[in-house]
Parts: sequence; C-alpha cells; structure tokens
Amino acid sequence: MASTIIETAGLTRSYGDICALKPLELSVPEGEWLSVMGHSGSGKSTLLNLVGGLDRPTAGVLKVGGEDLLGRDEDGLARFRREFVGIIFQQHHLVPYLTALENVMLAQYFHSVPDEAEARFALERVGLGHRLKNRPGELSGGEQQRVCIARAIINSPKLLLGDEPTGNLDHKSTTMVLELLRELRAEERFTIIMVTHNQEVAAWGDRTIYLDDGVLVREERKTG
Amino acid sequence: MQLVFKLIPQLIAWTVMVLLLLRGMPGRRGAVLISAVTGFSLGVAGYLLLSRLFPVTLPLGIIRSAVGGSFFLLWSVAVAALYRSTVRDFPLLRVERLVGTIYCAWGAPLLTGMVAGGIGASGLPRLDNSVLQLLAPLLLLLAGALLVLGARSAEQRLTSSLGVTPSAFLAALVALLLFSSSSSILLDLFAPLSMKVMKGTHDFVHQFMESILIPDHVFIRSAIWGYIGFLFGKEVGFWGGMVIWFTPALLIALAIRLEPLPSVAHIRQGAQRRRLLADAIRTKQYRLVIPALALVALAAAAYQSSFPNVEYWDPKPLAVTATPAGEIFIPRKGEVELEDGRLHKYLYKQGGKEVRFFVLLTPAGKLTVDLDACAICKPDGYGQSEGMVLCYYCKTLIPLDTVGKPGGCNPVPVPFTERGDGVHLDALTLVNSWSRTVQSTTSSKGGK
Repeated sequence: MASTIIETAGLTRSYGDICALKPLELSVPEGEWLSVMGHSGSGKSTLLNLVGGLDRPTAGVLKVGGEDLLGRDEDGLARFRREFVGIIFQQHHLVPYLTALENVMLAQYFHSVPDEAEARFALERVGLGHRLKNRPGELSGGEQQRVCIARAIINSPKLLLGDEPTGNLDHKSTTMVLELLRELRAEERFTIIMVTHNQEVAAWGDRTIYLDDGVLVREERKTG
Repeated sequence: MQLVFKLIPQLIAWTVMVLLLLRGMPGRRGAVLISAVTGFSLGVAGYLLLSRLFPVTLPLGIIRSAVGGSFFLLWSVAVAALYRSTVRDFPLLRVERLVGTIYCAWGAPLLTGMVAGGIGASGLPRLDNSVLQLLAPLLLLLAGALLVLGARSAEQRLTSSLGVTPSAFLAALVALLLFSSSSSILLDLFAPLSMKVMKGTHDFVHQFMESILIPDHVFIRSAIWGYIGFLFGKEVGFWGGMVIWFTPALLIALAIRLEPLPSVAHIRQGAQRRRLLADAIRTKQYRLVIPALALVALAAAAYQSSFPNVEYWDPKPLAVTATPAGEIFIPRKGEVELEDGRLHKYLYKQGGKEVRFFVLLTPAGKLTVDLDACAICKPDGYGQSEGMVLCYYCKTLIPLDTVGKPGGCNPVPVPFTERGDGVHLDALTLVNSWSRTVQSTTSSKGGK
C-alpha cells in the first residue's frame, strides 16, 4: 500500500471575512493523480497554493511528505517548493527573452546548479528536442506548456501541481499534454494534483474531488 | 575616553580572534573559552610585570618574534595548501593537523590571548594617578573576558555553513595578530618589512647591477642609473612589502578555489547530483570567508602601519646663526632646555642652503648633535616617540641610545664641542656634512 504524501486535518484558509477553504480533511497517497474540480471561487486554487507551500493556512494541519508545513519558516517553505514541488500554471509563465532550454536551466539554477545536458534531455523527453533554441513567443500553446512540464519535472519533484494546465489548449494539445504527464508519472512516480474545470481532463486522474464554496462535497474514484 | 578609542580596534580584533578559535574548534568550546580568558589575563599581567622590571627598554621583542614567527609559519602553510589543492595526496602539515585537537584547543587560545593581552596592555597609558594606573589594566581584563563571552554568543548565531579549513584558520588568526601588533610602532611588522624590501632592493641594485650589469663608463653609467633610480624609492618597499604581506592569505584563498569538487558522476538522479554539486560549491564559497577576513585584517594592519595613530614630538626648527668666526652656539638653557631628553631641531641658513639638525640628550646622559637626515634616505627628517626616533621616510625606528652613532638609517652625527654653557659646532663642517648627505641621498643613484 502506498504511503500518504498529503494529509490535511481541519485545513482552513480565510481572507478577512471570506473563508476560501473551510475545514478540509484530505489524504492523498503517494503516486496518485488527484483531480480537483469546482466552480470559480470554490477554493481549488487556494488548496493548490496551500499544498504547494505558496500560501499558509489560517488553521488546521497540513502534512506534506510527512512534515507539517506550518512548522517551516519562509526559507524552509522556499526550500520545500524548490525541492519537493513542480508547478504548471494555465499561463505558462515562461521568461519571454530566454530560449526553451534556458527556461528549463533557470529552474535548475534556482534549485542548485544548471546542467545543460540534463535540461536538453528533459526537453527531448517532452518532444521538444528540435525547439531548444526557440523563445516562448516562437512556440505554440501546446509546446509552451510542454516546456513548462519539462521545467516542472527537471528537479525531480515528488509532487506535481497543475492549475488548469490545459485551460488554454485545444483538444489535440490537451490530449498530448495529459498523455505526456501520464507517461512521466509512470517513469518518475510523482504525485499529481490537478485543478480543472473540464470533466474530461479530470477523468485522466485516479480520483476526483469536488469543492463547493470551500467545502469538499463529493469524491469520485476511477473504476477499472 | 581617548584610551577607550585607542583600545577599540584591539578589542574588536580580540573578539574576532576568539570567535575564529571557537569556530575552528567547534567540539572544544569550553577549553577555548577558558584558555582564551587565561591567556589574555596572563598577557596583560605579563606585560605590566615586564614594564616594571624593564621600565626603559621594554622587551617587546618577545611579542614581535611570536607574531613575526607565526607570519613565516603562515607562508609555509599557504604554499603547502596551494600545493595540496593541485596534488590530492599531499598531507596536511603538522601545524595544520593540530587545528581542532585538544592541544590546539588549549594552546592556541592561550598563546593568542597572551599576545593579544600583551598588545592591549601596551596600549595603556602611563598615568600619574596610582588608582587609575591600577584600574586601567583591571578594566582591560574585564573587557577582554566579557568580549570572550560576546564572541561565544556571536559564534552561535553564525550559520553552520561557515566552515573553516586549517590553513584559513591560521591565516585569519595570524592576520588578526598582525593587525593588533600594528597598533604600536614598537610592535608593527609591516613598516620593518617594507623597509627591509626597500633596503634589500637598494643593496641588490647597487651591488649586483653596479658590479655586473652596468658598463663602467662615466656617461653610460649615469644615464642607466637615471633610469633605474626608481627602484630606490620607498614605493618599491611599500609595494614589495604588500606583496609579501598579502600573498599567504591570497594563496590560501586560491587553494580553496582550486580544491576539486566531489565526484557526483555515479549519482543517477539529476536533481540530486546537482544538489550535491551546489552544496559543495556553496561550502567552498563559505570557506573563502575566512581568508577574506584575513585579507581585510592584513589591509587594516598595513593601513594602521602606514598611518600610525602616534603623536611624534617634532618641534619646528629654531633658526640659528653663526658667529663671524663660523661657529654656531646653542645654549644649554635658554629658549629650550637641551637636556630634557627631547629632540630639539634647528635650522641654519647659509648661501641659499638650509641645514636642519637636532640636539638630543640620550638615555645614557650624553648630548648628541645630528643632521635631521640619514645617509641613505631622502631627508624627510625624524620624529620622536616611545623611546625611539623614527625616520619619516622609511619608518625605521632608532632607539634613543643609538642616536649619535653613525650607520644605517641613524641620523648622521655632526662633530661638536660641549662646554659648560652649551654646544658649539663649526658651521662649515655642518653645511658640508649636510650637502654631502643630501646630495648622495636625493640623486637617483644614492637616494632610495
């Protein structure tokens, strides 16, 4: 049985009077692909930000990799994000004046030291071996998102977070990106938590949870 | 208050020394703290005892030798460290292997404390008030002990990444001792080092080039000497001294830079491999902090040596004239007291020439008349301080009891007659002596 990588108890996040995430109990086994669905303002991104160490909860327990994130100071959280988490956003957030290769190497630089051969290999793995020297503006939306995947996995994260990573892509590119994530997860064995509005995209996960107004209202497990 | 300001650099250096000792021997903090306080106390007490036993000529040579010897030791450690960084199997020197041992934990703080305490005590003024005379060393001891505790507290706040290699540890410790000793003109080592370089260059150029390289033709000789005259300037001594001064710490920093990174080729996962490499690079960068500290301390020592915080007794020369018979007379008592042990400067003008000379009563009780110039330096003159006269040009210290004797950088003695009413000297002899001296030292050939 896989060990638990994320465990929350009474996890809450409030912004003033607004409670974006109401006490949440959630457990994610290592290696799982968890899809998170819900309407706008339901608390999906808030949950993702908390799990990724981008935000701090107002109350509750949040254990990631067996460690309570609340116990970490800002430097500790930065180290956690650097070494434990890879994030793919809907907007690619690539540096426009750097090439695809340099964008991946930038992530290596912030993690430890750049290694061009390894970055090149990561881009080849996502099928962009022929686009190494192209800047983001010269790549299609799907290609940009694949650069983001290479950037997110280059530091061997245990947890890959996706905030609507296919939200801006057409159906073909979406399928390509999701297939790529599935292949990489099989090889690297990281856990995926992906926020999406799209039921089809959510169906790629092992389990889907539904949030509504900050409350976990439903959970579906893939069968077969 | 002035005393406090004078001692602040010493006490800061002492604090950093203790901090360094603690960081260099992390498992032996107790021993370091106890022996540091003991050493500092022994240093202060020892200096005070010696200054009572030898009130005129303090045996500061002990401290100078200790600090100077450690500088020579540092040179060998630096060369060995550089060699080791390129040849992996080269072992640590015995002195490097000692760092971190129980012997070092007790011995190094004790010796460092003794030297630092002695240097600190040498900065205490001689006070007329006996209560203050007793209170000043006690306050120094208290400050020394409190700063040891402060250093301990500061060391615990330093990042654990700040590692210290044995060679860097020795470099910083010696540099801080050199900085402390440079606060006293009697203990300073940079000025004598520069002087040795200057005089070494001078002698080399004279003896080697003159005898071997320079064609023995009167016109060619003067032309060539005109070009190589710059080798005699004190700038050569200063910059040569700087090279010798800074090189060991620079070599140690270079050795750390050249140390090979650990092999990570066997690690399969890229991120883990890069993390190990990044850690190794960061460790190396932190290790450079201590040699950098050594360089800062050495630079501060060179600055302190070049611009000493010492007030020299350097009176404005009094104008004197000669009698029609060509005799200059300086009364024993008059405008100045000749026999007060201080330097008294005079100016004699004749035919457009200005001759500076001084009269001094030596500790042996003999009057001496000398030019305000020596036979080898440019005639920048002398100042008097702490039982010495100092050549302003080359910063050589000349003990008062050797003033009146010719040679080296001593002031050039002038023949005179001592009578009951004062000293008498021949104006022509004085002018000729000045002319000979100044001509030889300011020309490109003879002047440094």
